[in-house]
Amino acid sequence: MSEYNKPLPPPTVESEPFWDGCKRHELVVPRCDACLNHWFPPTATCPKCWSTDWTWTGVSGKGKIYSFGVYHRAYHKGFADELPYALVVVELDEGPRLTTNVVGCKPDELSCDMPVEVVFDDVTEDRTLYKFKPVNDS
Amino acid sequence: MSTNLSGKYAIVGVGQSPLGKVPELGPIGLFAVAAKNAIEDAGLKKEDVDGLITRGPDDVYCHHQRVGEALGLNVTFSTSTANGGASQTMAVAMACMAIEAGVCNTVVVGYGRDTWSRTHRNAEAKQAVASSPRTYSEFGSEFGRFGAPVNYAVSARRHMERFGTTKAQLGAIAVAFRNHARKNPHAFMKKPLTLDEYLGARLIVDPLCLFDCSVFIDGAGAVVVTSAERARDLRQPPAYVRGFGFGNRLSGWYNDDNMINTGAKEAGEAAYKMAGIGPQDVDTAQIYDCFTHMVLLQLEDYGFCAKGEGGPFVGSGALEFDGVLPTNTSGGQLSEGHIEGMLQVLEGARQVRREHTPDRQVKDCNIAFVSGHGGNTVCQSALILGREAG
Repeated sequence: MSEYNKPLPPPTVESEPFWDGCKRHELVVPRCDACLNHWFPPTATCPKCWSTDWTWTGVSGKGKIYSFGVYHRAYHKGFADELPYALVVVELDEGPRLTTNVVGCKPDELSCDMPVEVVFDDVTEDRTLYKFKPVNDS
Repeated sequence: MSTNLSGKYAIVGVGQSPLGKVPELGPIGLFAVAAKNAIEDAGLKKEDVDGLITRGPDDVYCHHQRVGEALGLNVTFSTSTANGGASQTMAVAMACMAIEAGVCNTVVVGYGRDTWSRTHRNAEAKQAVASSPRTYSEFGSEFGRFGAPVNYAVSARRHMERFGTTKAQLGAIAVAFRNHARKNPHAFMKKPLTLDEYLGARLIVDPLCLFDCSVFIDGAGAVVVTSAERARDLRQPPAYVRGFGFGNRLSGWYNDDNMINTGAKEAGEAAYKMAGIGPQDVDTAQIYDCFTHMVLLQLEDYGFCAKGEGGPFVGSGALEFDGVLPTNTSGGQLSEGHIEGMLQVLEGARQVRREHTPDRQVKDCNIAFVSGHGGNTVCQSALILGREAG
């Protein structure tokens, strides 16, 4: 097996529980105990009501594509073989938006508002990335 | 209660360094040359300057101190800004506020960097650009998110799907600014550009192609700001600061609808209110153009057309020299060169000073609207310059 050659920035103290969730194949985001707002990326206070009481909460993993851009230029050698590839912004049903990739779909098949759901990609022994795939209508 | 500063302060001098490929100068040296030229243009001396607001490459710590040292300046008010491309228009406003507060009288504002040389000066620089990015950010780099274009590509895509905006309409922006650059001897890109060439250009981050992206050059620009009273005795016709405003949607480009409805709305409304005018009174616009699409968004948010109608507006030829809103009349960052909006402050002042040759001078130009945009895409600053104080 060839070595994984894409960047994997190390988790921070604030993001570690999120990446631990990915490793368990669970998508978790902060949810405010006071106003029930979900947000991402994780921060110490709810950006909506500034409550410091919040809980890592599992979400449905379902959402839709807010927008996307298709790279035709490789800024990193790890992505050179994948051109053209799409950087996709997914809006979860719970509200937060995540930057990600969509698998099982070519860039020219993407469109805004397309329904997608989370899949997990165990890219190394230590790290699992959240990605999304199109939801079939059936 | 607020005090209306409209017309109380003015840009009295403008200056720039050599632009383009200037490998013999670094960012501080470029700035120093521009500042010297601006002070001389005003008919002032080094001793008259008691304020300095600067910006340069992000990796230069306390940038204003480096510039001040190079210029041998001791001043009462001095700082560096960090709102990216929104900094330069904001710094002109900050200069007015500082003078109004009585902390200084005459302020040099500028920006300079050696962006072309950083990637081309020598073999080491060329290697740096060829290798992979040196910094990675969580929740993005893992998925191949690098560089600035993607932020505008996702916004453009969303705008296209929601409002029917087309690539050809974005192309009209690039072509108009190139047409302007062709008349500017200092512009970096002077080769003719047709819409067909634009549409056939290689893609960077679809829907953005090569000609949707601004051009990185070496260079600096600076202006001198002082009171309107003082301005009347100086060498050049003043470019009065008639209005300014800011909008910083710090909640994030990727949150809410901030990548479609930008802080330019708040920035523009405040600037128009201060100036007592509306977008219909603007004779020329100098709109921050890191990417074509950002021009389109700002034209909508600054009220030159309705939200969603930016495509047809620019597609009509509105931005051309003989259009309804001659925009980026020196070529903009897409063709003159990217100096983070500073050259557009200079061009706005030059247009209201009416100093250009007729082929570049907007006829009877009384009001120039200048915008800055940047930071991490969410900062907007607007500046309205007038030939008259009010």
